[in-house]
Amino acid sequence: MINFSNVTKIFKSDILTQNFTALNDVSFQVPAGSMVGFLGANGAGKTTSLKIIMDFIRPTGGRVEFSPEMGATKLEIRRNLGFLPERPYFYPNLTGLEFLYFMGTLSEISRSDIAREVAYWGPRFRVDHALGRELKTYSKGMLQRIGFLSTILHHPKLIILDEPLSGLDPIGRKELKDVIIEVHKQGKTVFFSSHIVPDVEEICDRVIFLKEGRLVYDGPVNSLLVSDQERDYVILVQGGKVLEDRAKSTVTLPDEVRRYVVPSSAKDQFLSAAVAAGGNVFSLELVKPSLEEIFYQTQGRK
Amino acid sequence: MMPSKIMTIAYYTFRELYKSKILLNVFFVGLGLVVVTFVATEFTYGVPERIALDFGLGMLSLSSLGISLFLGVNLLSKEMESRTVYMVIARPVPRYAFILGKLVGLLGIQALNVIVLSALTLASTAFLGGELSPILFWAIGFTLLESLLLLLCVVLISLLANTILSVIFSMVLLVLGHAVKETQGLSFVENHPALKALLDFYHFVLPAFHKLNLKDYVIYKKSLPLSYLLPNVAYGTIYSLGLLCLIVFLFQRKNLD
Repeated sequence: MINFSNVTKIFKSDILTQNFTALNDVSFQVPAGSMVGFLGANGAGKTTSLKIIMDFIRPTGGRVEFSPEMGATKLEIRRNLGFLPERPYFYPNLTGLEFLYFMGTLSEISRSDIAREVAYWGPRFRVDHALGRELKTYSKGMLQRIGFLSTILHHPKLIILDEPLSGLDPIGRKELKDVIIEVHKQGKTVFFSSHIVPDVEEICDRVIFLKEGRLVYDGPVNSLLVSDQERDYVILVQGGKVLEDRAKSTVTLPDEVRRYVVPSSAKDQFLSAAVAAGGNVFSLELVKPSLEEIFYQTQGRK
Repeated sequence: MMPSKIMTIAYYTFRELYKSKILLNVFFVGLGLVVVTFVATEFTYGVPERIALDFGLGMLSLSSLGISLFLGVNLLSKEMESRTVYMVIARPVPRYAFILGKLVGLLGIQALNVIVLSALTLASTAFLGGELSPILFWAIGFTLLESLLLLLCVVLISLLANTILSVIFSMVLLVLGHAVKETQGLSFVENHPALKALLDFYHFVLPAFHKLNLKDYVIYKKSLPLSYLLPNVAYGTIYSLGLLCLIVFLFQRKNLD
């Protein structure tokens, strides 16, 4: 759906300071029908990438292409695209309903269709009771929810969200995630940036990592978790000789049960040794690092 | 399709501004105008209607230019600051339609301001026995044209500089645009060819706001021929169209970061 190809973005500053390279030869694809999470620390280049995709800013090098099903011209592509910027404030003196009619009209949908969509999604987003109120009276979470509603009013094929879950309470996050999953199941492609790694792990099938303007990983979430070479196994053995020297760590539990942590490369030898030493192996479990752990390892903060 | 999008943006821009406190300012300026006119006429012998006109046109001009300056400078910068511009141009809306819609919406507020204050000025003048000559209506039209020209200057500068600098530069342009003609006539300038050439160049290139100021003619009941009025209308209109093209050209290419 999106082909982000060899994109570099250098922000030119004045003669006293150095130019800042926000993106350095970054390439990735967002396949049709996928739910892709876009991860990276602050300043990694996520928002810059999204702005380049949306043509708000131009790249210094490289190009962004959309698949033919999105349309041939810029305007056609935007008819099929929904975008929610990070922490939008909207127009404070417009009511929620006026804002939705404003956005819906610009997306070329009729007033009756807007009314139907608002009637359907309003209660789902818990904003139906406040649609007559001015947006300046809305809480941050309500603004985020009505912003998302305006993004999906026109049934876009591709939805791009910049930090959609930030600023929401746990219930709000859960509700928004449920709606994102629902629209994804309707066949929409969803591409969203987030700092909240467990949310991305929970709902995305693909993930793209950026670090200091460079692509670190682009692929399925599961592959990222499985491809990690540092995985360990937790093996529970009852009785037998203690095999402390063969494990990374050993903890003795009640009833002569020992909990060994063994690297995956030494797992088979350890199991053979445990059986030979008269132990009863009754549990073998892969320690699966969370995406969050991998994220922080990738960021060099762990 | 695009004119309807321009009008949609203009409509909601107008609504947004209409519901803000800006019209409250117009109300207080109008109220102040009536009070000041009444008080001033008490101290005047013989020409109370001239005082009403002087205050009325002065307030109208100040209020219109103030709206152009302070709303114009935020017209785009606020949109970018609050990221609302992204919400609009992420939809099938060309950038030129966005900027034209914003300008038309703001001009709607400007027109409302001119209508309210002009009506009060005309009513006060008529009430005090003054004559509503055609030049008075020309002066009101010229004030609207002057505020349009200033609005476009502010928006153009705000695309290139920050908010404070944009206001300062625009005010300097306004003051110089009014003063340049008088300055050109000074004997000091006449005796310094380089300075005269500089002022001539300024007068030729930068907006000559004095061409759109008819207040003195109105107050002293001077009539003006169409051969004077129409070229000045053409000047204001063509200059404004030129600025509009430049604004659209720059906004089309601007990085919205």
